Amino acid sequence: MFVCLLIYGVVMAKTKIKEPKIQITWKEVRRQKVLLIWSAAIVLYGVIFCYLPLAGWAMAFENFRPKDGIFHSPFVGMAKFQQLFSDATFIRVIRNTLAMGVINLAVTFIMAIVFAILLNEITSKGAKKTVQTISYLPHFLSWIIVTGILHDALSGTGIINEMLMRFGMIQQPVDFFAHPGYFWPIVAFANVWKETGWNAIIYLAAITAIDPSLYEAAAIDGAGRWARIKYVTLPGIRATIMILLLMSVGNVLNAGFEIQYLLGNGLVQGVSQTIDIYVLKWGISQGDYALGTAAGIFKSLVSIILIVIANQIAKRNGEERLF
Amino acid sequence: MKRKKLLSLLLTAAMTVSMMAGCGSAGTASGTSESGSSAGTAAGSTSGASAKGEVKNFTAFFATPGTEINDDNEIQSLIAQKTGVKVKETWLTGQTAQEAVGTLIAGGEYPDFIDGGDGTQQLYQAGALVALDDYIDKYPNIKNYFTAEEWDKLRQDDGHIYWIPEFSNINGEEKTCTHNDEAFWIQTRVLKWANYPKIKTMDQYFDLLEKYNAANPTMEDGTKNIPYTILCDDWRYFCLENAPQFLDGYPNDGSVIVNADDPKNPKIVDYNTTATAKKYFQKLNEEYKKGIVDSESFTQTYDEYIAKLSTGRVLGMIDQWWDFAYNVNDALKQAGLDKQGCDYVPLPITIDESVQNRWHCSGGAFNNGAGLSITTSCKDVDGALQFINDLLDQDNHNLRFWGVEGKDYEVDKDGMFYRTPEERTNCSDTAYKASHLCTYSYFPQYNGTSKDGKNAMKPDGQASEFYDGLQQDVKDTFDAYGVKTYVEMIGTCEAPGPWYPMWSFSGSLTTATPGGTAWTKMGECKHQYLPKVVMADNFEDGWNEYMKAYNACNPQDFLSESQTELEKRVADAAKYSN
Repeated sequence: MFVCLLIYGVVMAKTKIKEPKIQITWKEVRRQKVLLIWSAAIVLYGVIFCYLPLAGWAMAFENFRPKDGIFHSPFVGMAKFQQLFSDATFIRVIRNTLAMGVINLAVTFIMAIVFAILLNEITSKGAKKTVQTISYLPHFLSWIIVTGILHDALSGTGIINEMLMRFGMIQQPVDFFAHPGYFWPIVAFANVWKETGWNAIIYLAAITAIDPSLYEAAAIDGAGRWARIKYVTLPGIRATIMILLLMSVGNVLNAGFEIQYLLGNGLVQGVSQTIDIYVLKWGISQGDYALGTAAGIFKSLVSIILIVIANQIAKRNGEERLF
Repeated sequence: MKRKKLLSLLLTAAMTVSMMAGCGSAGTASGTSESGSSAGTAAGSTSGASAKGEVKNFTAFFATPGTEINDDNEIQSLIAQKTGVKVKETWLTGQTAQEAVGTLIAGGEYPDFIDGGDGTQQLYQAGALVALDDYIDKYPNIKNYFTAEEWDKLRQDDGHIYWIPEFSNINGEEKTCTHNDEAFWIQTRVLKWANYPKIKTMDQYFDLLEKYNAANPTMEDGTKNIPYTILCDDWRYFCLENAPQFLDGYPNDGSVIVNADDPKNPKIVDYNTTATAKKYFQKLNEEYKKGIVDSESFTQTYDEYIAKLSTGRVLGMIDQWWDFAYNVNDALKQAGLDKQGCDYVPLPITIDESVQNRWHCSGGAFNNGAGLSITTSCKDVDGALQFINDLLDQDNHNLRFWGVEGKDYEVDKDGMFYRTPEERTNCSDTAYKASHLCTYSYFPQYNGTSKDGKNAMKPDGQASEFYDGLQQDVKDTFDAYGVKTYVEMIGTCEAPGPWYPMWSFSGSLTTATPGGTAWTKMGECKHQYLPKVVMADNFEDGWNEYMKAYNACNPQDFLSESQTELEKRVADAAKYSN
């Protein structure tokens, strides 16, 4: 949450730099009254929902007891962090979160771009609109529904097993949720299915902004479809790709909560639990709010570090960047 | 061109920010989770009760799954007329008790009444509960509900009483017909096919399932039978893990075996590592490989499990009666599957014929670890306690559990209550239950004999009514074994000692102690490894791997804390025995 405000801030700052310098006068302020009110609302939102809750971080350094509150719980320094990192489960949970985060990022990111470009190549407007609408509808389904569908489809008597058996590819139904090895691919698949269409909208918007005369010129020079995608479309949306990639990198540790929580079971808990589930389990269920907060802080810090690193790399290579 | 590019960039940023803001709120460090909203609605709507003779409204949350009744429920309104109080009850949905309670604590607002289940200790430690000792004397029904010894058992480490266990009270002669607890269950058709044999051991049980399934692989309509399934969803995985204690002939202490060979010095024994435990899981492993154990056992959800049982396909399973019967029996009845013999009866199974089974203990289990509490958010503690007191009046108690005379039950010339077949059908009908019946099932209540001295407190304790209400296939089975009730079917024994049940202790552990942490980790470990053991290609390897992971959880910490508690309970009880 903190990260998202940070990004928002730098994006705003960045776009501001590009504008010509304006002297701030009362007249100017009056003229931009509406804009100022709108941005004030957003700043206020950020302060209330992103910065004020940070005061709760104090809990991580206390042996927090709800009865005593933040001000009267005993201070324990870094003890909760030590406890956290000496717990083998937490280390495993970090691994799971990172792994699923990276896999999800890679597949949803690439699929969205590929899908947007493919969609752009469709010439019939009606077909294009229809496909686009259908493809982004799953975004509006909640995870509980998506996981319900997955659970049914992948069960022993579900459609996938039925089909595989009908085609003679397997003899016995495969119990997909009983094998730890299948869990990450299933999660990645669900993410792709749910979000590809939605994520592609941004790229489609960026593609629309490419000057059509570029395509004409390329066509005259003898560029086929493939060459036009490669030399016009991709470079045209490169800035968008970079910005979105940078933002997603900061989000890697938000690998998810609902899907893993809802699809997981005892057999696959070694690969299914993410940091968020750990926080729920030890922070909320076991009542160790301090430990949960410590895990949350760790997650935020790693996210910030990741985004700074990614930004530096982009900067070195002269790419579009956040700050 | 440049402007368009800028525009698209801005659009990109705006969209991403709005998306991230949407999902960002779930992962905050402050510890509120969206999933708590169902529980959260229970709080806040307290009206605080106006004293003008109007009906006072209270809210209640029970950290256990349950069914909400309609707002215009008839018996609830009747009770409201008599007592002046109406309680809106909400139940656990899609969470564990501890998650729901943890969320409430993080929010700091509570419903008026709460039963926190496994999360009760957290509520106490968060200072969310009202100490009841100063009030109890004012309400005779509440005061007489427990003996002084029992009240003392409820005192927490600060010397106060915070909750009232609802279920363990038996008035007068115990009249229990249903085995409300755990057992190996089997469909009556299997027993009938084998001409009602005596099944006493685990091996005989699985042998019978195998033979029946070989001879009858499908149901009448061609659906394949599932010989044996195991529920393993979340906290309900007890269906997999706790059988070894029963197989060794110990009662349901839940988390440990208490060996009382020397009654003065009972000892805690870990049932996870006994020879019987290994034999049991080896048997499950063999049966899994033979295809007798349902291959979906470890991935099915509770809902899928209930749906599966409701189709009548499952020949046998181990479970607690309360965990399946209330849903499944009605479904089987409505689908007419009782005619095919799909109802379940319990079997008195142990590891060896020489072992005496103790699946069923008489006397009720006094659970001092959880109960009905009143929270600090309640603005009218006296009103709330008055209501609990009123609910224990015999008239109101009859209204809760028997219903309205002439509509839900009849009284014969000897004053005995009974139901007509139509009334029986009604009370298993979901719609009727929601619109008419209101048991306030998580408020204190009695079992055993009514204060009129003849009837049972609840219909399922009324022997004649109970037997008449049974499905024909269950009746036939009971007749074949010469018994009249589920309890007689499985046999009964006295509660083993003053410490019973130890699960009231393990249920109240938190990670504040090493034993509590070990207990949580043991649970996680068993939940992950036991299914692996059952599915293992090589059982010995699987078992060794499990034992290694299990010992890494420091079970000794938990066992020694249990031993301390056991000794404390025995010593406390000794004070009263003189």
